Amino acid sequence: MNVKSFMERERKSLEKMKRYQLSNKFKKIGIGIIIISVVAFIVNKLSIENIDLKLTSKYGILIGLLLISISKEKIEDELIKSLRMQSYTFAFIAGVIITLFTNPIFNYIANLISEKQQGNFEGVGDWEILWILLSIQVFYFEFLKRMNK
Amino acid sequence: MKNRLKIERAILDLTQEELANKIGVSRQTISSIEKNRYVPSTVLSLRLSNLFKKPVNDFFELDENEKANA
Repeated sequence: MNVKSFMERERKSLEKMKRYQLSNKFKKIGIGIIIISVVAFIVNKLSIENIDLKLTSKYGILIGLLLISISKEKIEDELIKSLRMQSYTFAFIAGVIITLFTNPIFNYIANLISEKQQGNFEGVGDWEILWILLSIQVFYFEFLKRMNK
Repeated sequence: MKNRLKIERAILDLTQEELANKIGVSRQTISSIEKNRYVPSTVLSLRLSNLFKKPVNDFFELDENEKANA
């Protein structure tokens, strides 16, 4: 294999990696999954019977957020791509800052919600970090889109 | 970066929506370029150049700071 064809193959595989996005309809599916998961979470909290939907709702919210995050807009042009990149950058930096500096506050609130022992400051869990990152990205992206209208 | 996109669009008597459709972007993108909130890529600039039948320099211009750094 010569160098040129090797470089061409590398370039094509990199191009494929860029095409990670889903079509616009997956955004609605993502919102639907989040709504169902939140309802399941509330039912789980209010349920007298011992039905454990906690893990299902955890997975649901995360999958829903991911679907919204990687779904294309109706017109996915270069401005939208630029705003999307800005939102991922912002989410990454904000996520790290939140994890580092607001850990005790966030964890206290999370403990209150999850009815664990109150005031027990543990590290932020991996689920929470992923939720924070994806939520910030999704909301900041929407904010940027509105700012550019 | 300063631009004359609004003027060039007015010369051709196009709305933002019509111009956006002609060059394959959203109306939001045209609005952002006109308000100097977004600097378009080379590809988009050349599409505009083809449409306006003018060189890119006729409707995009570096501002003083950008010229000084050149």
